[in-house]
Amino acid sequence: MNLLKAGRWITALGLVLLAGVYVRALAFTPIERTQGVAQKIFYLHVPAAIWTETAMILVGLASVFFLFLKDPRLDRFAEASAEAGIVFGSIVLTTGPIWGKPIWGTWWTWDARLTLTLLLFLMYVGYLLLRGAVTDAGLRARYAAVLGICGACLVPFVHLSVIMFRTLHPQPIILKPGPPSLPAEMLVTFLLSFGVFTMLYVGFVMQRYALSLLREEARHA
Amino acid sequence: MPENTPYMVAAYIITAVILLAYALLLYRRTLKS
Repeated sequence: MNLLKAGRWITALGLVLLAGVYVRALAFTPIERTQGVAQKIFYLHVPAAIWTETAMILVGLASVFFLFLKDPRLDRFAEASAEAGIVFGSIVLTTGPIWGKPIWGTWWTWDARLTLTLLLFLMYVGYLLLRGAVTDAGLRARYAAVLGICGACLVPFVHLSVIMFRTLHPQPIILKPGPPSLPAEMLVTFLLSFGVFTMLYVGFVMQRYALSLLREEARHA
Repeated sequence: MPENTPYMVAAYIITAVILLAYALLLYRRTLKS
């Protein structure tokens, strides 16, 4: 299957390029003065966070269109995007506390950004559990679409929580009105990392979508 | 060695492990199907 092979190649290339991003981030990007080397976690944490949020927005959009069009391709895409989102969410929820410990002095605090991010991750988990629990394909797609839309509605609150509430979490550095607040060398490293995470998202979704197709074909065979 | 280095190393290793593990999981699942 072409989609599966293309997904595998894109994922493999993404993983190779990730090694390149590691080398650039660790050896060729300056160390931030106040946070020290812990700031370099930013190059993994933020692209993963952007894709955690974007994946859920795409789940929500695909779900809205699915409820109107009843096209199974949209349901398949939503499932694939949710699974990729959970992978990036896992990275966000592990690298965040690892950065927080040396900088804040604590692994975790129940402030708005962290709590809402955890809630978004649990929505992803719930979404996949729901899909696994409902056996009827039509009902599964409809229930999952409703939950997917609810998850997407949470994303703006996650992103704007640092502005709406008093939180420990830093203010947006990249996705904010005005230019990014980063020196050029750091910005280039961030953009390269974001590009690699984008490739990995695309590769994961293509493979997961192809897997759903293969399973459906096997079921109907 | 700066004192924050172990945290940074841990974050980089965990990220690579999560991404590699999922890529391998997908590969195995698609091979079986």
